[in-house]
Amino acid sequence: MDYLINLIIFSLIYVLLAGGFNISFGLGRLLNLSHVAGYAIGAYTTALLSTDYQFGFFSCLILSGIFSMLFSLIIGAISLRLSDDYFAIGSLSFSFVISALLINWKSLTRGVLGIPGIPRPDIFTFSISDNLNFLIVLSIAVFLSLFFLNSVFKGPLGRSLKAQGEYSHALEALGVSSFKIRMYSFIISSFFAGISGCFFALYLSYIDPSSFSLSEMVFVLTIVIIGQPGSLLGSSLASFFLVFLPESLRFIELDPGILGPMRQLIYAVILFSTVYTRKASLFPIKRTV
Amino acid sequence: MLDILPQLLINALITGSLYALMSAGLALNYGLLGILNFSHGHFMMLGAYLFLFFLERFQSFSLAIPVTIASSVMFSVIAFNVFIRPFTKFDMVLTLVTTLALSIILESLVSIFFGVNVKSFEANFEVYEISNIFITSLQIGIILSAIIGLSGLGFIIHKTVLGRKIRALASNSNAAQSIAISRHRITYGIFILGTLLAVVAGILLGYETNLSPTMGGGLTIKCFSAMILGGLGNFWGAIVGSYILGLIENLVVGVDIYGYSIPAGYKDAVSFLVILIVLLFFPAGLFKKQERRS
Repeated sequence: MDYLINLIIFSLIYVLLAGGFNISFGLGRLLNLSHVAGYAIGAYTTALLSTDYQFGFFSCLILSGIFSMLFSLIIGAISLRLSDDYFAIGSLSFSFVISALLINWKSLTRGVLGIPGIPRPDIFTFSISDNLNFLIVLSIAVFLSLFFLNSVFKGPLGRSLKAQGEYSHALEALGVSSFKIRMYSFIISSFFAGISGCFFALYLSYIDPSSFSLSEMVFVLTIVIIGQPGSLLGSSLASFFLVFLPESLRFIELDPGILGPMRQLIYAVILFSTVYTRKASLFPIKRTV
Repeated sequence: MLDILPQLLINALITGSLYALMSAGLALNYGLLGILNFSHGHFMMLGAYLFLFFLERFQSFSLAIPVTIASSVMFSVIAFNVFIRPFTKFDMVLTLVTTLALSIILESLVSIFFGVNVKSFEANFEVYEISNIFITSLQIGIILSAIIGLSGLGFIIHKTVLGRKIRALASNSNAAQSIAISRHRITYGIFILGTLLAVVAGILLGYETNLSPTMGGGLTIKCFSAMILGGLGNFWGAIVGSYILGLIENLVVGVDIYGYSIPAGYKDAVSFLVILIVLLFFPAGLFKKQERRS
């Protein structure tokens, strides 16, 4: 039972993370490879604030989101003006800057040792130190976020984002600034990255830089691509599917050293085969006039 | 500070040569195919591991080299036909995603077969000292192989018929194809050639530092950084960019300003920051006047 709760909690954290990524990548077609860096910033904000300064649950949650948003403002201002390929490189290099900081800024982040013993603060009088209670709180948060995300997807911002991804000049001819639209999507998506990082840090109570590597980014990318980019339901179901899938590896006798790379291999192969089989229909064809 | 400056410049030349070998193929690929290959650094890593494996297996240098070259050509043929070519006529994002997937596949395969631990080649090189500048025979080899490799490539591009075809395809693909230049064959050849250069660079890098399965990602970013400095798709720009990047990396870490210096751990972060600064102020690279905005 504990094992099942553990898996559900991880899936829900990925629902949040992938839901955020789905806005910028799925709708806006921006391959934002710094999404996991926003996740890392959220996790480290929570870890530092709750261990060193005993911040409460809500202030950790909100501040994680806000710090991640501030970070995305900087990236966005630099790289959102650029076209697809430049944008991917720019955001990837940003994520490498963040991981270099996490490893080398030892006075703040303790480097590769990570931050242990992150406490789970009470919500008013409700204790979330029990995993089941944590799951309840997380589910409420995920429910509210999905509600909000759904309204973004269906609303004017979602429509303009889609239009921006297909043919940005037509959108600008209608008087909508595509830079602003991309920026909004970017900020919203990194807010969700931040709060999912907060839940991740609180749940594991230990974080280190290796949890926020490029392979984690590929995992999130896999979730969104399997669930069809632009579909919130798809990415939510896909995160459950992908978290539960490699658990079957546990029942095969494998060397523990191989287990980690094996999981990455499975995800990457799934990602590739999905893209391969749906290469024509994954994104609508770019319109040209 | 001035007394270590000559040593820093030599180190910059060595790192720059490695980066130039790495990014030359990537820049050619981008110029011809218009795709960014995120798995380029992982091919370097794979090549170095293959060389290590064959060297331990055969115990012979002259046998390991051709076998490594043959097997990396095989891998690059597979990579090109499976991971890149089927997607070139679709959305550009798709090739970014598939090469990213390929890079993770290579990284995890190498981790599974060779283990995640750091490995190194067993070799000793003579150290020469010329008026307080230290240089090993390996480092001289790195500089020489960059000169030979790049001038060979430059000769092919600028002086041969093949090179004229390459330049024609890069400047206007449709017009070149209409006069019966096979885009497929040329991009194929260039991809394999670029991978081979990367494998050579990977082996040299393996001797110079050491090997780990996760080294590929950072190397890819360094290639991108050099390419962006010179303007994406600009072959000679990328090579000059590589040397500039090597210079920046060594100067930033080596020079201390009024007793304050940047810790060596940030050496890698420098190249990532270079990308961001260049993107912010010179979005089209240092040498290209062409505007490139979406």
